[in-house]
Amino acid sequence: MSKQINVALIGNPNTGKTSVFNALTGLNQKVGNYPGITVEKKEGVCKLPRGVKAHIIDLPGTYSLNASSLDESVVIELLLNKNDKDYPDVAVVITDVENLKRNLLIYTQIKDLEIPTILVINMSDRMAYKGISLDIEKLEKQLDTKIALISTRKGKGIDNLKDLISNYKTLSIEPCLNTQDIDTAYFEGLKKAFPNQSLYKLWLVITQDVNFGKIDRNSIKDASDFKTKSNVDLKRLQQKETIKRYQYINNALKEGQTIDLNSAKDLRIKMDRILTHKVWGYLIFFLILLTIFQAIYDWAEVPMDFIDSTFASLSEWTKNVLPSGAFTSLLAEGVIPGLGGIVIFIPQIAFLFLFIAVLEESGYMSRVVFLMDRIMRRFGLSGKSVVPLISGTACAIPAIMATRNIESWKERLITILVTPFTTCSARLPVYLIIISLVIPEGRFLGLSYQALTLMLLYLIGFGAAVGSAWILNKILNIKSKTFFVVEMPNYKLPLFKNVALTVIEKTKSFIFGAGKIILAISIVLWFLASYGPGEQFNNAEEIITEQYASENLSQDELNQKIASHKLEYSFIGITGRAIEPAIRPLGYDWKIGIAIVSSFAAREVFVGTLATIYSVGSDEEATIKNRMAKEINPVLGTPLFNLASGISLLLFYAFAMQCMSTLAIVKRETNSWKWPILQLTIMTAIAYIVALIAYQFLK
Amino acid sequence: MNDIIQNILVFSSLAIALLFLIKKFVWASKKKAAKACGSNDCGCH
Repeated sequence: MSKQINVALIGNPNTGKTSVFNALTGLNQKVGNYPGITVEKKEGVCKLPRGVKAHIIDLPGTYSLNASSLDESVVIELLLNKNDKDYPDVAVVITDVENLKRNLLIYTQIKDLEIPTILVINMSDRMAYKGISLDIEKLEKQLDTKIALISTRKGKGIDNLKDLISNYKTLSIEPCLNTQDIDTAYFEGLKKAFPNQSLYKLWLVITQDVNFGKIDRNSIKDASDFKTKSNVDLKRLQQKETIKRYQYINNALKEGQTIDLNSAKDLRIKMDRILTHKVWGYLIFFLILLTIFQAIYDWAEVPMDFIDSTFASLSEWTKNVLPSGAFTSLLAEGVIPGLGGIVIFIPQIAFLFLFIAVLEESGYMSRVVFLMDRIMRRFGLSGKSVVPLISGTACAIPAIMATRNIESWKERLITILVTPFTTCSARLPVYLIIISLVIPEGRFLGLSYQALTLMLLYLIGFGAAVGSAWILNKILNIKSKTFFVVEMPNYKLPLFKNVALTVIEKTKSFIFGAGKIILAISIVLWFLASYGPGEQFNNAEEIITEQYASENLSQDELNQKIASHKLEYSFIGITGRAIEPAIRPLGYDWKIGIAIVSSFAAREVFVGTLATIYSVGSDEEATIKNRMAKEINPVLGTPLFNLASGISLLLFYAFAMQCMSTLAIVKRETNSWKWPILQLTIMTAIAYIVALIAYQFLK
Repeated sequence: MNDIIQNILVFSSLAIALLFLIKKFVWASKKKAAKACGSNDCGCH
């Protein structure tokens, strides 16, 4: 059996840690630029020379071993606990060649834990551009380790890194700093009290701001023959330690690094000046958003029409080819239209993720975070809240988990509570189908009304999030400290491979994740719509034939009436009519009511549900959009999906919680049912009231 | 005969669909709470 070693990848955010992880393991994961993207621990296996296998752990980005947030404490807990199964045999510290000085702080701390440590200097392809030259031999001597100079963008230096990892036993574990130099008297006392322990480990445990799950800090503080210092004194000693570390780093860099400022071409400063400008910055961001929404509509139209008509033909083909019967109907009227209701949105979702991936990869997203911090502060949020709010455009679940890097509990709680207002990709199918039904196709200044409506809905979602944050900030009586640090990565041309992988991965998980639920719900809904109790359902043919005997209806018209009557008295019809009084004031009929209830499992189920219900009552070949457009309001006799009911539905989905999984994650992250229940109640109430006002006003 | 087979297929599909939904939303809720979804999508769809 080959030997396996544990390798921990550690480093500041935005040093390309995840890219190194991808290069070593071959696992295709997301590479982003905004702060703290690596919230979860990522693992992979890498084959090294001489038959050695490495278990690689990609740890959350952290600036130092002084944790200020939950995800940073993960790193420290692992490095302090030798009994952890993931405790590294070797630590690989990733640094960015342009920020070497700052990135080396954590390197010196890890080395002082007496863990064999390799230093990786990434983004070497930027050196010439920035006028940086390195003397690796001198740096290795000064920093007492082995260095791998790599460029993950150009794929250079990875083999050298693998060689260094496989030879980790030859690395020096001498500390960079003698811990006792920080305060001789204090550390001598500590050494006497705990003679067999590493001084620096003890020091780290004593000085952390966060509590650890596995390490008992009180056992150190309460030792009878050792008196620790007050928090103020400890902070002073921490500052002294940091100064000493930077003195060590400066000495090392003086020998091994030269920067020729005359040859550095700094386009970045010029671009930052414009992109983060207090007027132009917002204007450019707004224009980028406009372009994205316009492109989503214009580029996706042709493939969407193709998918829609293909599913309609497939449904018809199934009916004609398979022997007639209940199962054929289930396939043709339940499964195929239900799945068509989700597959149709592949082009638009792919385009949305394409734009988000390009913005992240290029480094622009971090500028948006910086830009938004100015606005966010006024509403009780921090710039870091923008990350979850933007991630929320994909899905609220990872977005809520991304709040873990917000240090202040109050800001974190508010962000968790308001993030579900952001327009997630699951809302997109609902918006797109309703907009195409009720918003005319004209253009204003070259932008289609439909694209503008979609953008408006995104802004409403964002506005609702920010507005509720402001209210929560006033209401919640929680005291906590707040500060904001954002890493501005360099501008880069997005790598095609990374963008393509993000688009494929996101679209795939959207389609396959949703697909299984929609398939199951379509089967259940078809059953409920095709079977029913009592006389009215079982004798539908006799009842309708007798009822319309005097009218001269054609056979097709008569069949249509029978199908509608059966649907009305089916299980789903009975349930739908029971909830209809509650939703009629919003302009919805019982079929929409069923779609709303079933979409509580996942919002995008709404379209698939309607597609299934409408196709059960219809014999003709038609696309989902056409079926919905033909629906008539039984009370008013007008099209069911008109401007009033359409806007009402759009607003309902903009504000309603409608996602079971988000509620489960909120419960987990807040460790209480109080917050998710409050969130569900308030969001549903707002959605109902806004939809009611919109319909009553517009009808 | 055709009707019987078709009905068996329908009810089997229904049973599988119901089992899947129950497993996904009722039994899995505790398991899901303990398992993070990371930076990938979350299975909420």
